Amino acid sequence: MATTTATVTISSSDLTPGMALNINASSTLMKTGTTTGLEIMDMGRGSLKQSDGNQSLQAVTATSDDYGQASYVYICNDSTDDQKYIKVGIEATVIGNLGAGDWMFMPWGQGDAAAELTIEAEATGTIPYEYAIFKSAYELPDAS
Amino acid sequence: MATTTASISISSDMMGYPININKTMTMMKFQSCNGLEETSGLRAHKFESTSAISIVEQDEYTDTKASKVYIRNTGSSKEAFFYVAKHASAAADATAGEAIGRLYGGDWMLIPYLGDVNITVAPSTAETMTLEYMVFAEGFLGGQG
Repeated sequence: MATTTATVTISSSDLTPGMALNINASSTLMKTGTTTGLEIMDMGRGSLKQSDGNQSLQAVTATSDDYGQASYVYICNDSTDDQKYIKVGIEATVIGNLGAGDWMFMPWGQGDAAAELTIEAEATGTIPYEYAIFKSAYELPDAS
Repeated sequence: MATTTASISISSDMMGYPININKTMTMMKFQSCNGLEETSGLRAHKFESTSAISIVEQDEYTDTKASKVYIRNTGSSKEAFFYVAKHASAAADATAGEAIGRLYGGDWMLIPYLGDVNITVAPSTAETMTLEYMVFAEGFLGGQG
């Protein structure tokens, strides 16, 4: 069984006056509803251009067996130009704007066939990004 | 200007070689090098039913900025979970294409937030479960009643 852990630390000495902020959390990523670790991942990097429009980072897998499963997504905008941000969405819902240097980590339930992950560059030039997707299940599509 | 940093570390032995992802970001205002200065504060909410509630109300935040939301299921059960959705009032796996996913015991998430739609959660069980969450905001408008 694989062990995948995701840890976050959020800290600030001056966001809340007189009270330092320190959040530490760690989770071991398990298959849906079990204590068995996830064993499927997709990881990579690329670059986006505004002219590309809205791009599919990951489509929902072909069968409904994969809907509602425990999956997790990490995305990072690797640009250093603060004008360059990436719009991240699930289907038609925009999650938010990922600014230069920003990362995000969230569950991705693949709630239905249309719930694909999307990314879109919102500035001229290219925006480098990296991503990792950890899944409970993935049924291979039929060969064409 | 406040300085708030968030670091992520992901490690895995899923492959035949170690996988390590380590990133640190400083939370900045939209298209700016100035740090976020407002927050909801760290909150905790105890649930004892499966009713959905909005933990982040969109009308409390300025739209289309660089806010961020941290959420964690403080439990330890890998069977019980919270549905999380960007929706005015509902959260389930197929909440009209606006479902994000499920947070099982110990799971956390940190996402950018546009302040355009509520973030709504719903427990999968009526057993007591607790969620902690915090908004790091650009443009906190306060409670709108």
